[in-house]
Amino acid sequence: MRTNYKVNSGTRFRMLSEDQLEELFNGVLHVLENIGLEVHHEESREILKKAGAWVDGLHVRIPSYMVRRALDMAPRSFTLYARDGNPANNIHIGPGRAHFGPGPTCPNFIDVETMERRPYLKSDVPLVARMVDALPNIDFCESLGTVNDVHHELGALYEFAGMFPNTSKPIVAWSYDWDDSAAIHEIAITEAGGQEAFERRPNYVHYCEPLSPLVSTFEALDKLIFAARHRVPLIFTPCPIAGGTAPITPAGIVIQGAAESWMGLVIAQTIQPGLPFFMGGVYSVMDMNAMILSYGAPELSLMMAGITELAHYVGLPLWQTGGCTDSKTFDEQAIIEGSLSVFFSALTGGDMTHDVGYTESAMTGSVFQLAAMDEAIGYSRRITRGIEVNEDTLAVNVINDVGPNGHYLKHEHTRRYYKNEFWYPNVCDRTDYETWDMMGRTTMKDRVVSRVNDILASHQPSPIKPETEKVIKKVLEEAEERVKDHD
Amino acid sequence: MSEILSEISTCVIEGNVDDIEELTQDALEEGLSAEEILDKGLMPGMDHVGVEFKAGNMFVPEVLRSARVMHGSMEILRPLLTASDVKMTGKLLIGTVKGDLHDIGKNLVGMMCEGAGFEIKDLGKDIAPDEFVEAVKEFEPDVVGMSALLTTTMRSMGHTIKALEEAGVRDKVKVIIGGAPVTQSFAEQIGADGYASNAAAAAEMAKKFVS
Amino acid sequence: MSEIFEGLSTAVLEGDSKKSVKFVEKALKQDITPQEILDKGLIVGMAEVGVRFKRGDMFVPEVLMSAEAMAAGMDLIRPLLIETGAKLVGKILMGTVKGDLHDIGKNLVSMMCEGNGFEIIDIGFNAEPEKFIAGIKKHQPNIVGMSAMLTTTMRSMGHTIKAIEEAGLRDQVKVIVGGAPVDKEFSERIGADGYGSNAPSGAELALQLVGAA
Repeated sequence: MRTNYKVNSGTRFRMLSEDQLEELFNGVLHVLENIGLEVHHEESREILKKAGAWVDGLHVRIPSYMVRRALDMAPRSFTLYARDGNPANNIHIGPGRAHFGPGPTCPNFIDVETMERRPYLKSDVPLVARMVDALPNIDFCESLGTVNDVHHELGALYEFAGMFPNTSKPIVAWSYDWDDSAAIHEIAITEAGGQEAFERRPNYVHYCEPLSPLVSTFEALDKLIFAARHRVPLIFTPCPIAGGTAPITPAGIVIQGAAESWMGLVIAQTIQPGLPFFMGGVYSVMDMNAMILSYGAPELSLMMAGITELAHYVGLPLWQTGGCTDSKTFDEQAIIEGSLSVFFSALTGGDMTHDVGYTESAMTGSVFQLAAMDEAIGYSRRITRGIEVNEDTLAVNVINDVGPNGHYLKHEHTRRYYKNEFWYPNVCDRTDYETWDMMGRTTMKDRVVSRVNDILASHQPSPIKPETEKVIKKVLEEAEERVKDHD
Repeated sequence: MSEILSEISTCVIEGNVDDIEELTQDALEEGLSAEEILDKGLMPGMDHVGVEFKAGNMFVPEVLRSARVMHGSMEILRPLLTASDVKMTGKLLIGTVKGDLHDIGKNLVGMMCEGAGFEIKDLGKDIAPDEFVEAVKEFEPDVVGMSALLTTTMRSMGHTIKALEEAGVRDKVKVIIGGAPVTQSFAEQIGADGYASNAAAAAEMAKKFVS
Repeated sequence: MSEIFEGLSTAVLEGDSKKSVKFVEKALKQDITPQEILDKGLIVGMAEVGVRFKRGDMFVPEVLMSAEAMAAGMDLIRPLLIETGAKLVGKILMGTVKGDLHDIGKNLVSMMCEGNGFEIIDIGFNAEPEKFIAGIKKHQPNIVGMSAMLTTTMRSMGHTIKAIEEAGLRDQVKVIVGGAPVDKEFSERIGADGYGSNAPSGAELALQLVGAA
């Protein structure tokens, strides 16, 4: 090995220069220090004030030294743990590692049997979780929908209660309010073996959202504080809409969104120094014709790339968005939009990319889209693995062995590498025409549907502890009782 | 005479905020009534904008600009219209329901309806059912529009409709609802009169309700 | 006895040449006939390889190792088979056509066919029609296999078949073709007897054509 040898390990997409990132960074600091945000949560305002922020009624401005301090305290690398201890399903957050998973809260779902679009139900949650558990390139779990057939205050809890036993991969959870967060947390720490054990090996992440532009609602901050107090890794990210609730230019939306996140970061780090914290969110355009937030637009990938680079510049992991589409059906549009954003996420190294499996601009969740995107993720991962250059891979000896007009198929070198070097598709078809014709002329859609059905028929996730099952039953009963008289 | 009216229409179509006030004043000085200026100058302009938007030749920012131009002219015409007892297309009361601070959709609808000739009263965000009821009694709208972004605040729409019933004013208004999680079936479930999936559709529906 | 057959076919399946030789030697010592060794040991192993390859559970590099293990076993029993007049499955004359130097496909098919009990005469690449005809006259194969990689050399296949016809030899052989630009339609158009899209299906086709499949 040479001394002073520089290695590019894996492909990376870099869009912004150091100087541009510095300007963006200063832009965020400026927004926080001079423009400020509305903080609709008294305790949060007090925490901020005590820590040095300027508070004027609801309006809070945060001096830049507080922001820098919070950024310093937040970790760049940490691990999220599979609840059953299987290290293969742990998620190591750190530079150059991209992970993928679905999103929550679509009102509708594509029925796996009829392939019809219908409201998302409680019974869909275990199904989605099992798919996530089985698909090799999906790393974390969200439910793909909002449960319509339970009390509206309990949707999040039923989602968590349905996901947790059906996948051992880490879960990203949202909640309705503080009590809801507590119920979810109780389930998770029971399985982990207590609060202390959970803090060492967290098995879920808490998600909440500020409101663009520049507002943090009471509910969002109340939940943030719960997560911080209980050392639950936290995602606090907005969904700003370029041209609607954020500046239309990517540089502008990036700094506004970052400011909205970092307000939460400061509170969280003040309460719990070193709390794992993700910035990012869903940044996209308001289509000026259809008036929707577009989930298939190239600007989505562009803006997410921008916020990813800013996050990594300041040393924070990024909550990204990809694998989603505006298409209403499982068609070519869904595949183009989903695959391109997946590929971009992989290239930019966005630490956790969610909303894989979203269709119809986040109105309908689809496990078919999820399974198809699993393939795209595998494909992208192969490319971003890059090219390893060493004596063995240079293969000079092998080239010598085989010589002019020879072939490599029988060589030991080929045999040693072929399984690992090549990506073998699960769904893409490479057979010759006659075989394909004979086997039924299947399309990608046919094979995805087949794969989904195979997985659902056969995949068994690892079970949770009996005591956790009891706790799930208990918290659901308590929650039903709690909301009985609410309407 | 019709020249200045078509100039006013063009002003609206082109989103020319600078000239509209002067043109409006000129039209009045020429002896045209406020009603004529509205019906034959502003409205044809906005109608054309609506057609172009539907065809995909004009986009939301341009539509909003045109609405602003119309608004600018209306500022001058409104007192005259009230004085001569001329009716606007209708009156629209809008608000985002209790517990919800998202309002961009509501704002878009308000602007589009204003462009369609409605008089708008915007209650803002986080509006409780009884606030809606009070405003209905006071403002006497033809149409009430409610917006929500969260599945958790949607419920308020049903509560508000109930509150209108209990106050005995439900029959006096048409209720339209909208927002990302809202659906046609939800609208039917809570007894709303209509559901609109985007601002343009909302404005059209409101126009239908008052025609 | 069946243990030996099982051990031999497993050795072939696993691509273990040393083991394959060991079991053949063991079998011969126990006076098992070379024909039985071929049919119940070696060919059974390769048949399973074909099945697994089709299913996607085995890949080409592993298939080649199995073919090598089979060949290693065959080397021991071939002279004995010829001695006892036992019939080999068949004889195949293989070549890459005129103007074309690509031969990896041809070599793969040869290995697979050998693995299925065929004797292979390989006339190499860039083979003119005359060379094919000479080969047919000298070795009297059951099957002639032609390979081409380029769309520009494919036509040589048609010329070769015509030349074989004109030499009055067409009825004596079955002609199969293959290679990247070749497909079923083309093979029918030029009057070939069959087309294989990959090595295992080429070998299967060869077996069918000699009536042994």
